Amino acid sequence: MKNRLKEVIESLIFISLEPLSLEKIKNVLTEFPEQEIGQAINELLESYISNERGIQIIQSAGGYLFSTKPEHDSWVKRLLKVERKNKLSSAALEVLSAVAYHQPITLAEISALRGVDSTHTLKTLLQKKLIKIVGRKRSPGNPLIYRTSDKFLTHFGLNSIKDLPSPEELSKILEEESIIEEEDKSEH
Amino acid sequence: MDTSATYQVKLEVFQGPLDLLLFLIRKKKIDIHDIPIATITREYLEYLNHKERINLDREAEFLLIATLLIYIKSQMLIPREKALEDEEEDPRQILVDRLLDYQKIKAASVLLREKEEEELQTWKRTFLPSLYSQEEMDYMEVSLFDLAESFFALLKRKEKRETKTIKGKEFSLEEKMKKIIDFLEENSFLDFLDYFDQQGSFEEAITSFFSLLELIRSGIVIAIQESIFQPIKVWLRKKANTKRSR
Repeated sequence: MKNRLKEVIESLIFISLEPLSLEKIKNVLTEFPEQEIGQAINELLESYISNERGIQIIQSAGGYLFSTKPEHDSWVKRLLKVERKNKLSSAALEVLSAVAYHQPITLAEISALRGVDSTHTLKTLLQKKLIKIVGRKRSPGNPLIYRTSDKFLTHFGLNSIKDLPSPEELSKILEEESIIEEEDKSEH
Repeated sequence: MDTSATYQVKLEVFQGPLDLLLFLIRKKKIDIHDIPIATITREYLEYLNHKERINLDREAEFLLIATLLIYIKSQMLIPREKALEDEEEDPRQILVDRLLDYQKIKAASVLLREKEEEELQTWKRTFLPSLYSQEEMDYMEVSLFDLAESFFALLKRKEKRETKTIKGKEFSLEEKMKKIIDFLEENSFLDFLDYFDQQGSFEEAITSFFSLLELIRSGIVIAIQESIFQPIKVWLRKKANTKRSR
């Protein structure tokens, strides 16, 4: 019975194009106790790590999803006849970082942080659905406020926004970098 | 980051990229009074003159930081009365706080780039080679005129075929509307042209067309065209589905 449960979950993840959340799995498998489902998922994940397989189960945007392994990238690309999936521009990444770390945030706040007008970049990101409008700020002009979307998480392979380093950790990284740079400098 | 490509400042007290200099000034590890900004700008202009290609982003960044430096130094050089000084914040602090916030975002964006690179190497089943441009396909809602135009094209098609006289069978709007909804519930969407092609008679087609307009007007269905010259598809607007209604 338990083995079957693992296989059922595998089918469910396989047929899902979007990351499949634990919640959804539970909703489908009403006849199984929740605890067994959780355990079966863990076993399933383990079996994919240990076995020699070309595909893996990733945890993305709070759900489970099948993907190919990164080391097979070049062959997959050959099959699909694509050179490379589109990367975001540096400006887009900066705006996304600003939103990710300061959300909810307005356009004016993003532009001030970057020191550059970010209207166009923001619009593109909205079209790509990497960010979303979550309402209006109660301040003069009632500007729109933005947050990162689930698609943001899947685009960067994050399970949740908490996967990003905290602002404190970022300062630490910066601090270390400048120390390294200083050391480099003194060596010359 | 590629530091070798960025412009390096060479001074007695400091050698390296300009943003690092600003950082050190903030940390008060270097005294701004020791930094000859005139020398920095002069040498930078010379460097620009010798450069064949200019990377606008990078040069703009240099300008920004150089301006900040000049501002900080000018503020430090102007003698101030003590009382005034207490009221105002240290100009270095404001600017440098802003710069630090920006540096954090930059560090985060470098991190995101790494994550993106990793992610781009794993392929999901959702990936389909895009038929259109790299830009994500934007659906456009078709206007009444697009619908009408398609409809007239269709009537012309029908005209050629139908030479027999039409026997009077009455079609009611309500009946047709119900039929369209039933069809949509079963098939999820209908192809505008195909649907009207299936209609038995001229009169029936017109009734269907009016029913469809009525359904669109009352927001029960939505007509969508993937891009110009593509078939117009009609979808049932689901109550929960607010995705496209922005």
